[in-house]
Amino acid sequence: MTKITLYIPLDELCLSAHISQETIVEVVEYGIVTPVKGDTLAEWLFDIESAHWIKKAIKLSQELQIDWVATAMVIELMRKKQQLEQENTQLKARLSRLL
Amino acid sequence: MEFKDYYKILDVKEDADLKEIKKAYRKLALKFHPDMNPDAGAEEKFKQVAEAYEVLKDDTKRAEYDEMKRYGSSSEQGFKAPPGWQPSGGAGHSASSADFSDFFNSVFGGGQDGFRHARQQQSNQFKGQDLEMEVPIFLEESVSGMTKSLEYQVPVFDGRQTTQLKKSLKVKIPAGITDGERIRVKGQGAPGQGAAIGDNKLNGDLFLHIRLVPHPLFDVQGINLLLTLPLTPWEAALGIKLEVPTLSGKINLSIPPNSRTGKKLRIKGKGLKNKTAQGDLLVIIKIDIPPETSDETKELWKQLADAEQYNPREDWSN
Repeated sequence: MTKITLYIPLDELCLSAHISQETIVEVVEYGIVTPVKGDTLAEWLFDIESAHWIKKAIKLSQELQIDWVATAMVIELMRKKQQLEQENTQLKARLSRLL
Repeated sequence: MEFKDYYKILDVKEDADLKEIKKAYRKLALKFHPDMNPDAGAEEKFKQVAEAYEVLKDDTKRAEYDEMKRYGSSSEQGFKAPPGWQPSGGAGHSASSADFSDFFNSVFGGGQDGFRHARQQQSNQFKGQDLEMEVPIFLEESVSGMTKSLEYQVPVFDGRQTTQLKKSLKVKIPAGITDGERIRVKGQGAPGQGAAIGDNKLNGDLFLHIRLVPHPLFDVQGINLLLTLPLTPWEAALGIKLEVPTLSGKINLSIPPNSRTGKKLRIKGKGLKNKTAQGDLLVIIKIDIPPETSDETKELWKQLADAEQYNPREDWSN
């Protein structure tokens, strides 16, 4: 049986996303994600959903050559879109039961 | 091997300066980026644009490419590099590079093939690529947690080319997992390069994206479950006691008289559970009439219509 993890520490996230700690600090400073726990930088722990958005933010910033303010806005809009799409799917499913 | 005309791909002249190349890339990247453009083929187009930009933005790579373009030859069998051409391989490719073509690898070296998203840790060590896969699970499984057998393909680079290796794995999905949640299986992505045999520290990770399979009866709203309960008009008008399904078996429920469509009845504690709270089951009334009416029933409906003064469209007259 393979063990799963629901959180990822900062150093492993750096390795996984191929980025420096400084870049992750920047991503956090711009409010793109927030660590779930950890008082000091070395103790920072992210949930896997946040790790996904960090990677997405870094990829978008590099591939579209946009600054962090624009990246933060794009990520916020993408999250909102994803949430609304999920809600829309759920509401459509509920509506079809009522009709 | 097919020749790639990077200037054509970026739609710039061969003497375009860096500013023009950057401008063209930005325009096309925004147009074809898979996060911006869901069309089939957009991702492939973006990869080509990214590859062209990777070469043309870099003076050394661009000079090498121009030389190749000038002295290489095209035939029916495809493009051939100039005689004696050796891939440079040492230029270093950006960590964000998308999967590049065989043409790119033959010109600039494919040393990072299979590890293109990897970062060089030491001179000859690379972290393996992370993988992501969607895992559909049933609602019942999300409540109880379960062991899931997964089969997936891992790209393995043998120093010359990448092959896909089939891998199977058993993972324990924890109880209380929700739709859209992601979990990480450490070290089960693509193998790293340069680590000692048996050392998995450089392996990439496998990320599982959990998707709930729609349930035939229940919908999910946060930690609450929703059940649509069809009633006949007389059941709704007179009230009724009946059995309704929950995820943990059937229970008896009293439907009060004069229950209207959309009315919600809350059954405490019969929803989903997360770390901090226990959800409820919300039973939503839906009134349904028989699809066909006999003469006898029609007569009874007429009697009801004469006796009842209720007008559901009263507001329309205002």
